Amino acid sequence: MSANKWLATGNFFTTYKQEQRTFLTNLDQSFFTLFLVLLFGWPLLFELSNKSMLVIDNILIAIVAVMGLNLVTGFAGLISIGHAAFVGIGAYTVASFCRTIGDSHIIITHFWPLLIIFSGFMGAIFGAIVGLPALRLKHLYLAIATLSFQMIFQWVINFMSFFNQGQTIFVGRVFWFTGKVGRKDHYVFWYFVILTVVVILGFGIRNLLKTRYGRSLIAVRDNDRAADAMGMNPGLTKVYAFALSGFFAGVAGALHAYLYRGVGFESFTLHESIGYLAMAIVGGLGTLNGCFWGPVAIKFLDLQVESLAELAGQYLPSSMNLATALKPFTFGLVIVLFLMFEPRGIANWWRIAKSYTKKWPFRY
Amino acid sequence: MSYFFQIVVSGVVVGSIYALAALGLVLVYKSSRVANFAHGQIIAAGAFITYFLTVTVGIPIFFSFLASMVITFFLAMSVERIFLRRLIGEPIISVIMVTIGLGSIIDGLIYLTPFGTENYSFPQFLPQAPLTLGGVSISWTQLSGVIITFLLIGGFSWFFKKSTVGISMRAVSDDQFGAMSVGISVPRVFGLAWATAGLSAAAAGCIIGNITGLNFDTLHSFGIIVFPVVILGGLDSILGAVVAGIIMGLIQQFASGYLDGNWGLNGTGDVMPYIILLIILLFKPHGLFGVHEIERV
Repeated sequence: MSANKWLATGNFFTTYKQEQRTFLTNLDQSFFTLFLVLLFGWPLLFELSNKSMLVIDNILIAIVAVMGLNLVTGFAGLISIGHAAFVGIGAYTVASFCRTIGDSHIIITHFWPLLIIFSGFMGAIFGAIVGLPALRLKHLYLAIATLSFQMIFQWVINFMSFFNQGQTIFVGRVFWFTGKVGRKDHYVFWYFVILTVVVILGFGIRNLLKTRYGRSLIAVRDNDRAADAMGMNPGLTKVYAFALSGFFAGVAGALHAYLYRGVGFESFTLHESIGYLAMAIVGGLGTLNGCFWGPVAIKFLDLQVESLAELAGQYLPSSMNLATALKPFTFGLVIVLFLMFEPRGIANWWRIAKSYTKKWPFRY
Repeated sequence: MSYFFQIVVSGVVVGSIYALAALGLVLVYKSSRVANFAHGQIIAAGAFITYFLTVTVGIPIFFSFLASMVITFFLAMSVERIFLRRLIGEPIISVIMVTIGLGSIIDGLIYLTPFGTENYSFPQFLPQAPLTLGGVSISWTQLSGVIITFLLIGGFSWFFKKSTVGISMRAVSDDQFGAMSVGISVPRVFGLAWATAGLSAAAAGCIIGNITGLNFDTLHSFGIIVFPVVILGGLDSILGAVVAGIIMGLIQQFASGYLDGNWGLNGTGDVMPYIILLIILLFKPHGLFGVHEIERV
C-alpha cells in the first residue's frame, strides 16, 4: 500500500487484509465520520414537527427493509414479491407478544431491543421456510411462489381473531434510561434508534459482501452452475439469502410496530411489497448505496405528488380525487422510466458523480 | 345433494371466467416469455370502455362489446410496442417490474375517471328469472357468460391451429431463431400476442362485469388470481389454462361452500388458490400441460 494514508492514487494492495478495509483512505473515513456525526447531531440543534419527523423515520425503516430486499433480489438475484409480508412477520411478532402478555408488559416496554432482534430472527425463520421453493424454482416461478406467500399471509392476518382481524393492535410506550419516552420525544427517540440500526446493518452488509458468504450470493446470481462447480452450495446459499432478507425485514417490521405504536394489516399488503421492489430498483439493484437512495426518492416523490394534488385540487371539482389517481400514476411512471432509461438506478448517478469529482478538473 | 350441484355449477361459471382471463396471460407468456402483471388492469379497462360506450354514448351492448375488444386490441399492441419491445433480452426482474409499473399507470388513469371508485352495473338485457333445473339454478347472465367464454376459447384454439398468423405465433413460441429463419417477424408476433391478449382481456372484463357488477377492485384482482390458474395449467398451454381455470373455480367454490363457517375458518375461497399454487410449485412446477423447462439447482 502506498505510504500516503490520506489520498489514494491507485490500488497498492499486497494482502487480502488490506483489500478488506472498510475505508480506502483516512480521508474517506473522516468524511464518513463527519457525515454520521451530522446525521446524529442535527435533531439536537433543530426541532422539526412530529409530522416531518415521522416521514424521516418512515424513510429510515424503508431503508432497513430495502436492504433486506436488495440482498435477496439485488445480490442473490431471487425475485421476491412478498417482502412486505416478511416485514409484517416482524411487526406481528411484536403484536402477538402484546396480545398474549398485554401491551405494556415489561418485556415490551423495557426489553424492546431484544424483542426487535427476536422479531428479526422470526423473520429469518419464515424467510428460510419461504425460500425452500428456491431449491427447485427459478426466476418467474420463484417470484410467483413469494407472491402466494404474500397472499396467504394477508389471509391469515385478516381472518384470525388472534391478530384482531387485521385491525390495529396497540403497542405500549417504551422506556429508556431517562424514563418513559413521552409523546413529545417519541419520534426523535425512534429516529436515533432506527438510525443506529441502519448504520449497524449497513456496515453489516458492507462487511458481509467482503466475506465468502456475501461473495457466494453474487456468484450464485451470476451463474449458479458455475458457482456449484466452484464448490459453493447454490441451494443452501439461496435459502440463506432469503433468511438473511427475512431478518432485515423482521427488524424493519418490529421498528414499524414501535414507531406507530400499533400494528395494522394495511401496512403489509401486496401493494407495499411492490413499493419495496420499486425502491430497490430506483435506488439500484445490487448496490449498497442504492438501498439509501431508493426509499428516499420514492417517499419524497410520494410527498411531492400529494402536495401537488392538494394544490391542484383547489381548482378542480371536489368529486375528483386527484391524489388517489396521481399517486399510482407517477409511481408506475417512475418505475417504467427508470427501467427503460436507467436500469442501474440512482446508484449509477452517484457513481458517475463520484468519479467525476474525483478526477476534477483533469477529466482524462 | 342439490347444494353440491349448485356449487359445481357456480364453480364452472367462475372457472370459465378464470379460463378466459388466464388465456390472455398464457398468450403473452407463450410467445414472448413475459409474465404480464398488468393483465387485471387491461381487463378492467376493457370492461369500463364497454360500459362507457353502452351507457354514456348509447351504442347497443353487443356492438360496444366488439368495439371495446378492438380498442384493447390496439391498446395492448401499443403497450408492447412502446414499453416491452425495448426490454427484449433484459433480466426477468426488469420485465416483471415494467408490467407492474404499467399496471400502476393504468390504475392511475382509471382513478382519474369516476370508474375508479364507484360501482356500476351493465344494463340488463337478459331475463331476470334464473333458469332452474332439478333444484340447481343458474342465472341467464352466468349461462351466457359461460357460453360466450367457450365460444371465444374455441375461436382462439381454431385461430392457433389453422390460421397462418396463429401458426406463426406457435412457431415463435417453439423456436425463435427457427421462426426467424423461415421469415416470420418475431417482434410483430410479440405485438400480435399482446393484442390478442388485450382482446381476450376485454371479453373477460365484460363477462365478469355482467356477472359481478363493475367494481375496479374486483376487476383488477383478477390479474393476480390468474397466476395460480396459469401455473396449475402450465404457463404456456391454452388447454391447460381452460382446464386449470375450471379446476380452480371448482376448488374455490368448494372451499368457500364447505370449509367456511366450520372450524372458525372464513374466506377460504380467497386463499385456497394460493395454497394449491404453492403445492404445485413444490411438486409439479410445470403444471398439468406445461413444457418441462424448470431448471434445478
